[in-house]
Amino acid sequence: MEIVLDILLNSYLVFVILYFIGVNLTYTTLLIISVREILNYMRHERFSDYRLIVQSELTPPVSILAPAFNEEATVIQSVKSLLKLNYGKYEVIVINDGSKDHTLERLIDEFRMAKSKEAYDAKIDARAVRGIYKSAEPEYRNLIVVDKHNGGKADALNVGINVAHYEYICCIDADSILEDDALQKVMKPFMEDDHVVAVGGIVRIANGCQVVNGRVVKVGLSDHLIPIFQVVEYFRAFLSGRMSWQSLNGLLIISGAFGLFRRSAVLEVGGYKHDSVGEDMELVVRLHRIKREQRRRYRVVFVPDPVCWTEAPDTLKVLSRQRNRWHRGLLDTMLIHRKMLLNPRYGVIGMAAMPYFVLVELLGPVFEFFGYIAMMFLLFIGALNTQITLLFFIVALLYGVMYSVGAVLLEELSFQRYPNPRDLALLLSFGVLENFGYRQLTAWWRVRAFWDYFRGKNAWGSMQRKGFGSAA
Amino acid sequence: MPLQLLILLVLAVAAIIFSVLTAIAVVAMKTIDISRIRTRERLYRIYSSKCSELLLGDLPPLAPGSKPSEAFALYESLIEPVKTSFATMSVTRRNAHRKALRHVLVDFAQDITGDSSDRLVYFFYSFGFVEEEIRLIRSRHWWVRAHAARSMGLLGAKKAIAALTAALEDSHRDVRTQAMHSLVKLVGPEALKTILRLSTKLSRWDEIELSVIIAGYKNDAVPHLVEALRHSDQSVVLFATEMLGDIGFVDAVDPLMKLAHTTKDMNVRAAALHALGRLGDERAGGLVAEFLKSKIPSVRLSALEALGRIAGKASTDLLKPFMLGPVRDEKLAAARALAIVGKKGISLLQKEAGSRDALTSAIAAQVLEEHGLTSIEA
Repeated sequence: MEIVLDILLNSYLVFVILYFIGVNLTYTTLLIISVREILNYMRHERFSDYRLIVQSELTPPVSILAPAFNEEATVIQSVKSLLKLNYGKYEVIVINDGSKDHTLERLIDEFRMAKSKEAYDAKIDARAVRGIYKSAEPEYRNLIVVDKHNGGKADALNVGINVAHYEYICCIDADSILEDDALQKVMKPFMEDDHVVAVGGIVRIANGCQVVNGRVVKVGLSDHLIPIFQVVEYFRAFLSGRMSWQSLNGLLIISGAFGLFRRSAVLEVGGYKHDSVGEDMELVVRLHRIKREQRRRYRVVFVPDPVCWTEAPDTLKVLSRQRNRWHRGLLDTMLIHRKMLLNPRYGVIGMAAMPYFVLVELLGPVFEFFGYIAMMFLLFIGALNTQITLLFFIVALLYGVMYSVGAVLLEELSFQRYPNPRDLALLLSFGVLENFGYRQLTAWWRVRAFWDYFRGKNAWGSMQRKGFGSAA
Repeated sequence: MPLQLLILLVLAVAAIIFSVLTAIAVVAMKTIDISRIRTRERLYRIYSSKCSELLLGDLPPLAPGSKPSEAFALYESLIEPVKTSFATMSVTRRNAHRKALRHVLVDFAQDITGDSSDRLVYFFYSFGFVEEEIRLIRSRHWWVRAHAARSMGLLGAKKAIAALTAALEDSHRDVRTQAMHSLVKLVGPEALKTILRLSTKLSRWDEIELSVIIAGYKNDAVPHLVEALRHSDQSVVLFATEMLGDIGFVDAVDPLMKLAHTTKDMNVRAAALHALGRLGDERAGGLVAEFLKSKIPSVRLSALEALGRIAGKASTDLLKPFMLGPVRDEKLAAARALAIVGKKGISLLQKEAGSRDALTSAIAAQVLEEHGLTSIEA
């Protein structure tokens, strides 16, 4: 018995060490690739004249899809801001997903809209459309409001895809703020390469920023601690993670808050999946899967510059719900497409991106959380050398600090959106602090997501938006 | 000391060193950056004011028929003090000052014309900036080459034409694009002939860049575009076709008809029909109508879209079967074409808006609404 326990303990320790080395080597490689990619992107940007996009008749038009559910408080400001984007030809399609408040009425009144005779073509199956509204006012000609029965975000986006008139569709959250030139920048990869099927833009946290008339006019950090932790997390996820994966054509996530797709490619794969909480990731993985099965050339790209600002949760309760949902979405997507895992037919997706997402992103919190418990238990029974265990724990935390600091460095190397040196110092400090408590807490929420998922919980959970405040 | 402990210590030290160094680097970079920007702005201000004097200041008049060398001597006398002050500086300082001066001259080059422009070009040569750029366009880094290609156009350096022509075939898109713009600045519309000849695999972005240049020359660009219709690369042919339709020059009708008739590439044929539709010349009516029978959907669609603009009310009977047919995209294209052919087309649409076939009725109503022929329901 003692021999068996000894073998089990040693096997566990070997696994922990190998996992630790593997994860950190992966993170380091991704960080190095991102530095190279971001520098390349910055150099390329110096030669991009975006005025051409606005001026040229050859610029492909875009349909912006904004699903709205009970957004009466913010929808008017959001739509007005979307109508002012600096781009050539585009339309804004707001999909009222059976709101129970006055979202639809507010839109109709504000933009003087009326029911249109436009023929609805249900290319993708979705809940019934009650009406398509357009405005006779010239300034709102490019605004379309679709009223439909409630079916969730994915369903609303599918209706938007059906209604869209153009080949490129930009899916955003109705409460997101796009920067004036965001559409130009996110469209550029499509114009440079015919094989691009999807492009994701960076999402940044607006808490603490000064917003006037639906525009971020001054970038700053929130007074609350929780959004600042998330700023560092977003740097790590977007600037390091997504930037490096896109260079390998292994990007599996395009944020639901801001992504642009080739409509024909989305129609070909059947649109968004209705019953998934991670519909944004699932669509991207399905695009990869089908394109690779068809052996067709394609690219999924991430652009680190076109900015979409979003309001992040500032209470632990809301944040826990959000992280729980993200993790259930990840788990769901990995289970749906488990066939791709370690399958050479799917190239870099099957052999690198999926294993990374399963082992590091999905199971990482589980290993981390149960690792803490196992460590305490083994220390308690005296099966571990206290000195070595503590040192290992410290090293693990230090590597966490290293990647957070590295992500802040990436931001400073590239876009420098936080001009105040005080903000930068604060971000660096939070990069260190997040490893002592915050990281463990998010790991716990993500572990709980497994429990919720297998219990059949499929809800989004609500987030009370505070809105972006001032209108000048 | 056990091996595990040693390994962990090494890892811990590595992580600490990396984190501390990175944090220091981030803060130091920010501080250095702020100070560098300040210096750059200060130097820019100094040389802006100096260059204004040098470029706009009065010079003694030259006798009529005097040689260019006499004007050059005068220009040289203007910049002599600047050159002397450069000679007294340390290498680092001189580089910073030369960089600022070049920056200012390049900015001024975008707005200045006439005698001042001649002075400016002379300054570029005299300070050795042109030679520098010609050397840089052979750099192994693409961004340095692209920057040099751009600067050469702004400097007006005719000496750089050969280097820029070679750069049209560079392996990096940004270098090719910058070379293209610079060549057009230096040579004018004649550069389009070389640019289109050397172009291959044009992306939408390349097309947008080229279209801006072509929009500046319009009719002067037409012969080069017509020539490009015979290019071996599909993307160049498609682009030339689209631009000819866009420019709307009547000379393009015959070559486009010939292209639509002879090409075996269905995308090119569809594009040619589309361009003919935009030109709206009646001569193309028969040919376009012929392609309504094509087995290729994209060709049929282009023919439908073009026919309404070309053949007017005469096309109503040809469009009607498609409006009543089963294919949604063709129904919509035919309905949109009918809406622009005149009263006969509108009457047909109004009649079909009451059709028993739900799709036909919806499409007819939609197109009437698009053209403001029925009001949006209140």
